[in-house]
Amino acid sequence: MFLIALTSSAELIYQFEDQQQEDRFYRLINETRCPKCTSGSIASSNAPVSRDLKQKIYELILAGTSDEEIKNYISERFGASSSYKPAVKGMNYFLWFGPFIFLSLIILIFYFNKRV
Amino acid sequence: MSFLARIFLILLPVLIFIFYGKVLLIDDKKSNDYFEPKEFPVFQLNNFDGIPTNLDIISGVKLLNVWASWCITCLVEHPFLSKLAESQIEIIGLNYKDDKTKALDWLKRHGNPYTSLIYDPRGDLAFDLGVTGAPETFLIVDQKIVGHIQGELNEDKWKSTFLPIIQNSQKELN
Repeated sequence: MFLIALTSSAELIYQFEDQQQEDRFYRLINETRCPKCTSGSIASSNAPVSRDLKQKIYELILAGTSDEEIKNYISERFGASSSYKPAVKGMNYFLWFGPFIFLSLIILIFYFNKRV
Repeated sequence: MSFLARIFLILLPVLIFIFYGKVLLIDDKKSNDYFEPKEFPVFQLNNFDGIPTNLDIISGVKLLNVWASWCITCLVEHPFLSKLAESQIEIIGLNYKDDKTKALDWLKRHGNPYTSLIYDPRGDLAFDLGVTGAPETFLIVDQKIVGHIQGELNEDKWKSTFLPIIQNSQKELN
């Protein structure tokens, strides 16, 4: 019941020109970390700073800003850890592929160990 | 081969642990002590008298303290800010999402440690600074933000975080 009330009030506040903008908005607020919380996106947070962030993302979307520009805009202010989906570049390659590299290393070692 | 592989297999978890431990420790250090210097954002705000403030007030070594009359922790750190002000540290007060009369009342009642004040009722400058709530304090050296403390500023954090940065910047000048 509480959730229904929350979503309906959010829809009242944020009005978009088309469905695409709305989808982008909900994707972005789910990918942005709430800076005031231990863990969680700004979509799930009602902290004042999260409300400001949502409002800003809403305004930027209406102004025709791209997703990448919005993400950069937020990380410039709230740091690289503000995104739950960091860009695949630079040091982040390690973040994205590190576990797979280690996993394949372990599998390789097991494989060779068995053969010898 | 088998022997070497076995040793490596045993050492691998240790290596992974050291690697990620190192990365995490560096990250931890970053969030506490290390701060990537950045330019002070451009802003257009007034002080409480309605006079526009400009970038001139952030030259030299300054603190910028984000505060509000509704903020309880601001009251906790207030004595320490007053102490800093007495020892000739210049502190700019960024009044955050506050009511003008309440803010002025607060300063009258508890004392004013600030050399200049910026009135930011909507939190515009605070947003550009990446403020997540009051109180927060920024260290500014020559119009660049070089340090950031979230939450209460106290003697410990001052000594461990801001003082080394100030001393470093003065060394560079000499």
